[in-house]
Amino acid sequence: MSIFQILTSSIGRKILMAITGLLLSFFMAFHLLGNLFLFVGEAAFNGYVEKLHKLGFLIRIAEFFLLAFVLSHAYNGILLWWENRKAKEKTESYSKENTPSSARYAAFTGSVIFIFLATHWATFWYKFNYDLQGMSYYEVVLGDEVGFANPFFSVFYIIAIALLGYHLKHGFSSAGQTLGIVGTEYEKIYNNLSVIFWFWIPLGFISIPVWFGFLVRII
Amino acid sequence: MNINLKIWRQKSNKTEGKLHKYRLENVDPNISFLEMLDILNNKLIKEQQDPVAFDHDCREGICGSCGFMINGRPHGPQKATTVCQLHMRSFNDEDDILLEPFRAKSFGVIKDLSVDRQSFDRIISSAGFVSVNTGEAGEANQIPIDKSNADEAFLSAACIGCGACVAACKNSSAMLFTSAKVSHLALLPQGEKEKKERVNKMVATMDAEGFGACTNTGACSAECPKEIGQTNIARLNREFIKAQASNLFEKK
Repeated sequence: MSIFQILTSSIGRKILMAITGLLLSFFMAFHLLGNLFLFVGEAAFNGYVEKLHKLGFLIRIAEFFLLAFVLSHAYNGILLWWENRKAKEKTESYSKENTPSSARYAAFTGSVIFIFLATHWATFWYKFNYDLQGMSYYEVVLGDEVGFANPFFSVFYIIAIALLGYHLKHGFSSAGQTLGIVGTEYEKIYNNLSVIFWFWIPLGFISIPVWFGFLVRII
Repeated sequence: MNINLKIWRQKSNKTEGKLHKYRLENVDPNISFLEMLDILNNKLIKEQQDPVAFDHDCREGICGSCGFMINGRPHGPQKATTVCQLHMRSFNDEDDILLEPFRAKSFGVIKDLSVDRQSFDRIISSAGFVSVNTGEAGEANQIPIDKSNADEAFLSAACIGCGACVAACKNSSAMLFTSAKVSHLALLPQGEKEKKERVNKMVATMDAEGFGACTNTGACSAECPKEIGQTNIARLNREFIKAQASNLFEKK
């Protein structure tokens, strides 16, 4: 098989899905570490973002790869979803009880996440790079225009990240199968690590709007 | 016991099918599900109607002929049993029971509950075999096989190819079937030589037959009458990755 034939076979597509998904998850972990500087304070967060910006060209390359992973993941996901629909026949009584809902809704949660990412780039990413208008990064994130002082924005953010966690719950278990980790000695450690990615990291992201958007005003 | 049946009736793959209602009274709860259908068919024949077509052969749960959806589940509600091993005592008096064939684009309806599963045969005939020269039987201990691999291979070989996995899958994927066949030979030294070629050809045939891709939901294993496990799918993926990787690196 040529590399093209491999990557367009059903398993090849799944392998691409798994690898791009895992790489995006690793990025997500680093992204969270950066976000947590918000809890340290304004100077710490602004300093961290400035340091990232100083990397300049390297950041642009990283962003290019991230976008490529997102698009490849989405493209293959849509293609698989479409091919899987084609393989199906209409049924009168099909029971879904053995199919976990996280798997059934993976395409839906993925679509919501994509919309979220698009707004994320149009707001935070764009403002950080081109449209600060004299504000600090910290003020943009916690401001009321596109930041967490805007309750609509915070609620949307919390829902999208919760769905992301749900998406990753299926994603990690599926990737474990696709990459052949299940049934080997690494299965247990992989399963434990995947809980960090589909539960604890999304919870970390959600803690930011919950704290800065809501709790900080009550307390 | 009395039961209300709704059965998918379809003359051939060229005609449209629909559900028909039948009522059976005084059914002995200790007869098998297929015997119940035999009784229904006797009744239909006496009434000069067309009997319900369904596949069956050994009625011992080992041949893989039988199988259809009972209330949306392949082989019915009981775990790890084929339809022929299911008894009417698994149902209650006055139950509604809906029967329809295994649904998938790659399984055409032949008639009523009987479907064409030749796509499975084509996956097997593409590479699901070992090319061992026939001759005199060798010494039994000539090829040592460790117990755990022999047991694993045996569990995979238990697949009877009934097609329940495809019917249980939301994507009509044949990954569990293909993975059981690949696993069973990949685990044994006899299958070693053709390992790479086998996984490549079987996956290519599976794709070409129009089965969906695996979403790793586990629905297939949950419904499999032989309890073929998800580890087989992981093993198939592993074999596929290994075969591609060694091909890519060997050539250059």
